[in-house]
Amino acid sequence: MNKTTLRGYALVPLIVAFMAGMIYLVYMFFVNGSAWSSNKVNTHIYTSGRITTAGAIYDANGKTLAKTSDGERIFNKSQSVRKATLHIAGDPAGVISTGVHNVFKSKLSGYSFINGIYTLKRYGGGNDLTLALNADACVAGLNALGGYKGTIGVYNYKTGALLCCVSSPTYDINNPPKDITDREKYDGIYLNRLFSGVYTPGSTFKIITAVCALQNIPDIEEMSFTCPGEIKMNGGKLVCMKTHGEVTFEEALNKSCNCAFAKIAMQLGAERLGATAKELGFNTPLRADGVRLAISSFDVSGTNNLDLSWAGVGQYTTLVNPCHMLMIAGAIANGGQGISPYIVEKITSRSGVTVYKSISKNSAISIDPAVAVKMKELLRSNVKNQYGDVRFPGLSMCGKTGTAEVDGDKPHSWFVGFSQREDLPLAVVVVAENAGSGSGIAMSAANAVLQSLKS
Amino acid sequence: MAAQKQSQSKKTQAKAAASKRTAAPAPPASKNVNIVKNKRFNKTLMLLVVTAFQLLSFAPVTFADGEANMKLVYTFGSYIVAEWLYIAVAGAVAKSDDFQLEIIAFLLSGIGLAICGSIYDEYAVKQVVAIGLGLGTFTALTRILKSTDLAMLLRMPVAIASVGLLVLNLVLAKTVNGALNWIHLGSFSIQPSELVKIAFIFVGAATLEKLQATRSLTKYVVFSVGCVGALFLMRDFGTALIFFFTFIIIAFMRSGDIRTIILVCTAALLGAILIVYFKPYVATRFATYRHAWDFINDSGFQQTRVMIYSASGGLLGLGIGQGKLRTVFAASTDLVFGMLCEEWGILLAVLVVLIFAFIALYAVRGARKASSTFYSIAAVSAAGMLLFQLCLNVFGVTDLLPMTGVTLPFISRGGTSLICSWALFAFIKSVSFNIGDTRPYGKWPDIVPERRRP
Repeated sequence: MNKTTLRGYALVPLIVAFMAGMIYLVYMFFVNGSAWSSNKVNTHIYTSGRITTAGAIYDANGKTLAKTSDGERIFNKSQSVRKATLHIAGDPAGVISTGVHNVFKSKLSGYSFINGIYTLKRYGGGNDLTLALNADACVAGLNALGGYKGTIGVYNYKTGALLCCVSSPTYDINNPPKDITDREKYDGIYLNRLFSGVYTPGSTFKIITAVCALQNIPDIEEMSFTCPGEIKMNGGKLVCMKTHGEVTFEEALNKSCNCAFAKIAMQLGAERLGATAKELGFNTPLRADGVRLAISSFDVSGTNNLDLSWAGVGQYTTLVNPCHMLMIAGAIANGGQGISPYIVEKITSRSGVTVYKSISKNSAISIDPAVAVKMKELLRSNVKNQYGDVRFPGLSMCGKTGTAEVDGDKPHSWFVGFSQREDLPLAVVVVAENAGSGSGIAMSAANAVLQSLKS
Repeated sequence: MAAQKQSQSKKTQAKAAASKRTAAPAPPASKNVNIVKNKRFNKTLMLLVVTAFQLLSFAPVTFADGEANMKLVYTFGSYIVAEWLYIAVAGAVAKSDDFQLEIIAFLLSGIGLAICGSIYDEYAVKQVVAIGLGLGTFTALTRILKSTDLAMLLRMPVAIASVGLLVLNLVLAKTVNGALNWIHLGSFSIQPSELVKIAFIFVGAATLEKLQATRSLTKYVVFSVGCVGALFLMRDFGTALIFFFTFIIIAFMRSGDIRTIILVCTAALLGAILIVYFKPYVATRFATYRHAWDFINDSGFQQTRVMIYSASGGLLGLGIGQGKLRTVFAASTDLVFGMLCEEWGILLAVLVVLIFAFIALYAVRGARKASSTFYSIAAVSAAGMLLFQLCLNVFGVTDLLPMTGVTLPFISRGGTSLICSWALFAFIKSVSFNIGDTRPYGKWPDIVPERRRP
């Protein structure tokens, strides 16, 4: 056997390397094809960075939020609908990064590994997306915010369907304001505050402190607290809205007594409060249908009693994402197991076939069912005994207000709650920036949106 | 049945070889081997399949504007006629069915031709002329290779001419896309480095020195250093790398000395490190490498567009002429793999490039049975060169390797590249030659490859 002729086998490693490279390349196309094809420089889909050719976006009732017609992106006829759904539908350029136009771009283009974007090319459109959203509720919500910056979110705590998502300030996609760069007027206009905002929670955080108390202090419901109006400690003081005197645990929550909750927080201690916050999704990346939520932060490690007390009543350095707060309320309402909100109800291909149908997914938030039941009773008591059912006609509402003190301005107005009605399993969150007390704008906006969804 | 025939033919071959060994120089028995029909392969049937594929791919190109583009009708028509004429005439002359390589080359050239036509009809006209020249080069080179004496005679002049051409290139060259590798003659422009590729293998495989000795490599090493050095001065690093790889293959085939090979590779690696230090142009290419998405609108522009549009095509493709990559610079030359993916489908693009792996296997297996060591070395190094260039191209444009701007053999638009690809196929074809005199190097009978006994 001549050696020279056998030396040809030196080429075999190259052949093997080439084959391995090809397998890897195809694998890369399989894994990344969807993201690559929906890159903004892809002129099949985008024109100057704006989606022009893509599927339509509908609300749950079939209202068109956006569609492509003759190579142009067209939005809803009504200006109020366009403004109220701007942040959830997103803009064609994807500046509103949590908008459907950006998050679901590869779905809108109809991409598939086998066909690429053939349908888009052939028929001038991709998949159509039907959202869980109710556009009318969004309009009602935006109106109810009354011009305040802030956000409203409503979702079905049993299924996860996100029915209302409003973020203010907003603008008309057909006529963006000329002075949109005005920082004062349009601060964070491209931000969907429900998903990407974080706020000081104020008294809504007492829900978390209460859950922790119910978990860790066996006789908490029999305990009573004395509220002197303020508590001096560590060279500072914790103040209450007023001097509540002797209150039970339930009354403390009803009246949102800071002194009582400060005492509870001190009794629980930083460690247990931190553990409950972690269980309820603080300092944890959460997602809603692929949208990354801003992370809520709670850190009381190494604090003194004063800071811990302030943290226990929702001040200190604590920040909460509104959608996260909505999910906590939803978990309580659903008997302990949290459900993740979803945005897209179904995806229909060009040929009318449903290629995707939403499914309910458990969220990372779960509460001991016994605690959830007690918490539900307490939140029901808030509305029944404090705010009054008259504020939520026919809703059998549970909830908690928040008045979040912010530096040098009027406090943020919060409301988070849910309806107990079997046929109306909806949780709601409202934040109105610098709108004052939670029992004001936030509570009435929550009612307005739920009323619009009741019928 | 076929297998039986095959083994019979093998036996005949072996017998012929055995008799050759005893009764040198040229026993008449070897003539019979040539006309044994290859029953596994029917050239007419295969060409029919290829023609059908070509008709399917030419049709949408020809009718892209709704009505037939007559220029393309003539171009594609003459191409298909030429294929059949060539196979008919060459088949009659050689009395053989052994045309697998030619038909594969026709298939690949046809894909390139369709892509050229789908961009601009003039491109297709130029390309079909280049295919003709390539086929001519292939035929001529086949003739030369069959006569080993002539090959030996031409070896030195070719080496001198190659170096001369590269030097001429360095003197005359204009910079095109950062590389100085073009010579412009009126409206024609040629890429000497592509032509020198042919010479590089020709000179490397056909050597008068006694084989299997490291010292016999000296002259070839000098020639190689000259070629690679000239390419570096032209800043055509991709081609320089291809030459280097081919050199390694040839040097190994000839000497079998792994230590020398490792030494050469280490020296080259050190050289490469020095170059990266001193030539910022090379360093920027490496800065983009594996980070193409970070340079999406400058140095990673072409790679990201290839990835984006290839993905858009999906497995089945958007259809010829429906792509957007075609609007990107160098789409039909360096980035043609992306065009294949986007318009013809990833599936087809992968199958097309897999053909080159198959060709390489064919060469490796054929090398064992070749009637001359010259042919073994020529075939393996030519197949290696093609496959290596393919790797640089396909993985370069998809950012799995640094992008070096080399062409995809046969498919990329460009005459010189096409001629080179055809010529390289002549080297691969040489493993099937059954020359009467199995002693190409005359004086040294010890280099005649032995055959495996049946």
